[in-house]
Amino acid sequence: MCDQSGTERLGEIIETSTVGFVAECDELHCLPPLGSLVRVRGAEGEVIYAVVTYGETGSIDPGRRVVRRGSADLRDQAIYQRNPELRHVLRSVFSAAAIAYRRGDRLSYLLPPLPPPLHFSVERVSLPEAQQVTDQPRYFAILAQYRGEIPADQLLAAHARYLFDVRQSDRDWLERAARELARIFKHDYDRLVPLLEALDPDLA
Amino acid sequence: MTLDVAAIAEELRRLAFETATGERHGWNALEEAVRHLDEANLEERLRTAKTSWLLARATHGYRGAWPRPTIADRYSVVATDGSLLTPDRHSPIRYYVINLGGVVLSYGEPSGARLGSHARFFASEDDLYLSDLSRRVPVSGAVLSFRRAVEELRHAVELVRSADPPVVALQDGTLILWGLESQPDFVANWALGPFLDALQALREAHVPVAGFISYPGSSDVMNALRVSVCDYPPQGRTVNCDHCRARIFTEGHQPACDILPDVPDRVLFEQVMRLEPGARSQVFASGSMILGRYPEDDRIQFFYLHTGTEVARVEVPAWVARDRAKLELVHAAIVDQCSRARGYPLALQEAHELAVIRAEERRAVEILVDRLLAEHGVVMRRSAKDRSKRGRYV
Repeated sequence: MCDQSGTERLGEIIETSTVGFVAECDELHCLPPLGSLVRVRGAEGEVIYAVVTYGETGSIDPGRRVVRRGSADLRDQAIYQRNPELRHVLRSVFSAAAIAYRRGDRLSYLLPPLPPPLHFSVERVSLPEAQQVTDQPRYFAILAQYRGEIPADQLLAAHARYLFDVRQSDRDWLERAARELARIFKHDYDRLVPLLEALDPDLA
Repeated sequence: MTLDVAAIAEELRRLAFETATGERHGWNALEEAVRHLDEANLEERLRTAKTSWLLARATHGYRGAWPRPTIADRYSVVATDGSLLTPDRHSPIRYYVINLGGVVLSYGEPSGARLGSHARFFASEDDLYLSDLSRRVPVSGAVLSFRRAVEELRHAVELVRSADPPVVALQDGTLILWGLESQPDFVANWALGPFLDALQALREAHVPVAGFISYPGSSDVMNALRVSVCDYPPQGRTVNCDHCRARIFTEGHQPACDILPDVPDRVLFEQVMRLEPGARSQVFASGSMILGRYPEDDRIQFFYLHTGTEVARVEVPAWVARDRAKLELVHAAIVDQCSRARGYPLALQEAHELAVIRAEERRAVEILVDRLLAEHGVVMRRSAKDRSKRGRYV
């Protein structure tokens, strides 16, 4: 349904703020996974890194409801083949929370000084770059404070799972991530345990 | 709220009752008129009839229906629609905008879609006023709507060039610019020239174009039926409505055609001719005067079509009506389009969505004009009436 593996750009920012942004995908359904890392190159050369916190697909016009198009004989991908206009009247959007920014060689695990500009491109982050940015999971504290469409714990779990895969099951990194979570939630055992269980590849 | 709904409710109730019973009145006479219609005799009557109504002339008879043809595995549909920002009498600068929505949908393997809109801005003297040597007519109101019709059809001509054949071009509404009949010649020529050029371009590209009219109010076929029941010919006279109507006042005459109910053609074809869903009527030639200025090949003819949810009117140029394959393509494509969008052609629906200018967009343009004028030191002075509506108070 979505093959954009060859392209860097995912979409374009349509809402922006200091804590994150909302982007519309270039292609319908081509959403980055929950918890994955994306980036925006800002107007002054800075690179803002953000974690995908939410995705949805719906009507491009809030006044027009999406209605059923299929039947027992027409379903799933065939519906899109038979209704080619759907790719133009529907859209996929995702939200992302900023976790860090880079100016020159300096990477700061802080919210960016300025929001990324509207209409700027949101891009995938290459594996080496993602590994480098997330090597020290100190920014987990920012995600733990996330208030949005999904619970912060779900976001942290999804992000850690995503990175564990990106890092090719790097157990050393997983241990660092677990320690960071233990530090953040040292006073909240009830949140910490389910999170650690969600991270444990042996329980997955 | 200043409208006292209760005060008019009783009148509305009475009107609803009269409308409902009025429609039933004369129903048997209508069934009879259709059953006993002598088509050869009607043709003869129509040839000499003097009426003030539009009369449908059958090209292959009045009765009969054509079921939905099989739709081709591959076809494309092009639809365009336009929306207006009309000249603002209260504004110090005069301009208008036509926002055109255009859709190209291709079905088959692979399917594809192109949707887009573009705004055209008009502010030159030639765009804003039409004139001959003695008169100057502002392009607004009905005159502006002709310009929109022209731009919509021209946009369709542009889009069909890139559509995979077979292609059908759809327009929302009539292709008969009958409103030009009441305009001065220089206005009629200004609108009709480019409109006919666009029709010709579609003909030369072998792309059938159709105007789709939902819930049509036209009565051309009903009017022909009225001629068929007229009692003048048995009395040795030709049908002459002016004469007949004048006698109502002078001698209390009761016109013979008054036995037929006052219903539009869509009711005739839905409830008396009983078109099946997907089927179309015969093709009729329109008696509209303005068509005398269309080239013969592009003179608009029409048929009624049961879309599955209603009986709509579909207008096509004569060259399409004569070409069986093209006519079937239009018929099948419209039924298919209607099945995709709850009774109204999907491509026209999407073209409308792209063209429509919403209230907040209209307001945004007004604010932009205010701001741009202010940048040049011109403070927008609206009329006192306009200001009183914008800043309401008690």
